[in-house]
Amino acid sequence: MISEHPSSDVNSETQLRQHAPGSRCAGYSFRQAIQTSARWLEAHAEFVNSLNVYPVPDGDTGTNMHLTVRAALEEMSHVEDDSVGALAQALAHGALMGARGNSGVILSQILRGIARALDKKATFGAQDLAAALQEGAATAYKGVLRPVEGTMLTVIREAAEAAVRTAAQEGAGLETVLASATQEAERSLARTPNLLPVLKEAGVVDAGGQGLVFLFQGALRYLRGEGVEEGPVAAVQRAVLHSPEGQNYGYDIQFIVCGQGLDVDAMREFLQAKGDSLLVVGDERTVKVHIHAPRPGDILDYGCSLGVIQDVVVENMQAQHEAFVAKQGRPSVGEPASRVGIVAVVPGAGLQRVFESLGVNAVVSGGQTMNPSTEELLSAVESLPNQQVIILPNNSNVILTAQQARGLAGKEVAIVPTKTIPQGISALLALNYQADLASNVAAMEEAAKAVHTIEITTAVRSVRVNGLEVNEGQIIGLLSGELVAVGSNCLDVAMEMLERIHAERMEIITIYYGGNTDKAEAEAFAEGVKARFAAQDVELIDGGQPHYQYILSVE
Amino acid sequence: MATETYLGKIEVSPLAVASLASDAVLGCYGVVGMAPAGTLRDGLVEILQREATHRGVEVHVREQGIVVDLYVIIEYGTRISEVAQNIMDAVKFRLERGLGMPIAEVNVHVQDLRVSSA
Repeated sequence: MISEHPSSDVNSETQLRQHAPGSRCAGYSFRQAIQTSARWLEAHAEFVNSLNVYPVPDGDTGTNMHLTVRAALEEMSHVEDDSVGALAQALAHGALMGARGNSGVILSQILRGIARALDKKATFGAQDLAAALQEGAATAYKGVLRPVEGTMLTVIREAAEAAVRTAAQEGAGLETVLASATQEAERSLARTPNLLPVLKEAGVVDAGGQGLVFLFQGALRYLRGEGVEEGPVAAVQRAVLHSPEGQNYGYDIQFIVCGQGLDVDAMREFLQAKGDSLLVVGDERTVKVHIHAPRPGDILDYGCSLGVIQDVVVENMQAQHEAFVAKQGRPSVGEPASRVGIVAVVPGAGLQRVFESLGVNAVVSGGQTMNPSTEELLSAVESLPNQQVIILPNNSNVILTAQQARGLAGKEVAIVPTKTIPQGISALLALNYQADLASNVAAMEEAAKAVHTIEITTAVRSVRVNGLEVNEGQIIGLLSGELVAVGSNCLDVAMEMLERIHAERMEIITIYYGGNTDKAEAEAFAEGVKARFAAQDVELIDGGQPHYQYILSVE
Repeated sequence: MATETYLGKIEVSPLAVASLASDAVLGCYGVVGMAPAGTLRDGLVEILQREATHRGVEVHVREQGIVVDLYVIIEYGTRISEVAQNIMDAVKFRLERGLGMPIAEVNVHVQDLRVSSA
């Protein structure tokens, strides 16, 4: 977030951070919020799938919504412009193109409305958020002649209405409005069985609505600085399935029965007496059964008597519940507060993915100039729940800014003075979560020094440096930040530098190709390197970085 | 369509099937109306009024089952392939459940796109 806000008290999840009424959300935070939403939905996609009964019991609402959001994110990732208007537009377009299933199409309409409301805005505040949700709901309703209540449509409408009410109050900030929308979405979801009889019959809430709730929750988690765990936690979430009879912990049993002339209603009647949270959907030939019961054998035997059973899942809910409760006890999902958090400055979508996959908690994109402001670094540091943070500047220009951010931060911040991306990656690989901050910084500095960085780019002006005559437009090569080679094409310059550092004695050469480099060209470049350095491992990665056609890491 | 029971015959007229189908279609997301069945005349498409929506459905009975042709108007800005697929699934499900008869084909003809007011 752009404005200042008090650090979250990590030990008290229920404490809402009140943002100042005037606080606004900018491009970076918007991107992160949507990504967190997507991850949270992804983690629960299987669960959402299991709820599907309306309009057709096809069991893939969760997957469909997740894939739709992914398509939207993919489109947004190509946008350099950091204004929320442009980002929302990209999201909407990506969702339109990539919409999957009924729920995906509705989601694409909601995003279309949001994009329309945020059009031409650089940032948005509490009022704008409420208006955007309102427009999203309105657009969604326009997309069908007979809107069916008790579905996703109801959930987005009621959530938007709550957002508008909250935004009208004195001093309402972004987080308050989003929290109010999320809470109302949850309540609306719980009411859906009362609006749609088929939901009540099956004992579930609306699948699309549930997916929407997860998206809201994910965004809210981001705003509150709570982590989102990677990977499926669907098993644990069974505990919140709409259960009319209360909780008897037994077994969560699911299977599919394949047979002839299956009578779904008769099956439902029979199984109703055997357990809770019953879900029986399908047709004459295929029926999916889901039930919570004390004796799985009885249920499975019944299934076998009707036909052939497959995709059998039996889980011990008592154990799941205990694990779930244990997780709640921790201060925040994912990161214990004592672990060190990492902030890295990374330009380019591909490189950002590389850093994130290596465990970086917050990525600050320097943008075109690869130069983030102190403000951006500071807010990235503040956004993490960790009390100790290491900054990887990955650029000598950024080191000073990082030092300023360190001075302003309320937490313990250390800087590992990496000057290039490969140094940053090396340093990251040396991180040891068990060790303390000081030893980590030392280890990371050592690792950073051990890697050679070669950067290839085009000279933007003529200059004489290090005894070399450079003309504008020529290809130049930098070794650990210093201009040491000049030539007419990238491969020649790279080769000259690789030979100079005796790459034939090294083990790994990693090539990151930039945003303005053609993939085919990059592949040819990599082949050229491989040809000369056959004994080394040569890897080609799409870094997407601006300015530098190639960044090579040699170790 | 007729079925025999021990008491006598149950006949479901094509009109009834069409009404059931159009009801299912209108609840599908992305559908903003139905158009008269058949190919376009003069290239102009009229949107059917509520009572007449069944005219946007053609029902044929074949050996393998019932073949349904739907003539729909879809909201501009949605992913048409997904909306159409959803219509097929929903109508097949609703008809099979409602009639207890096999549906061999559901064909969706997108006659027009409606641009909603911005």
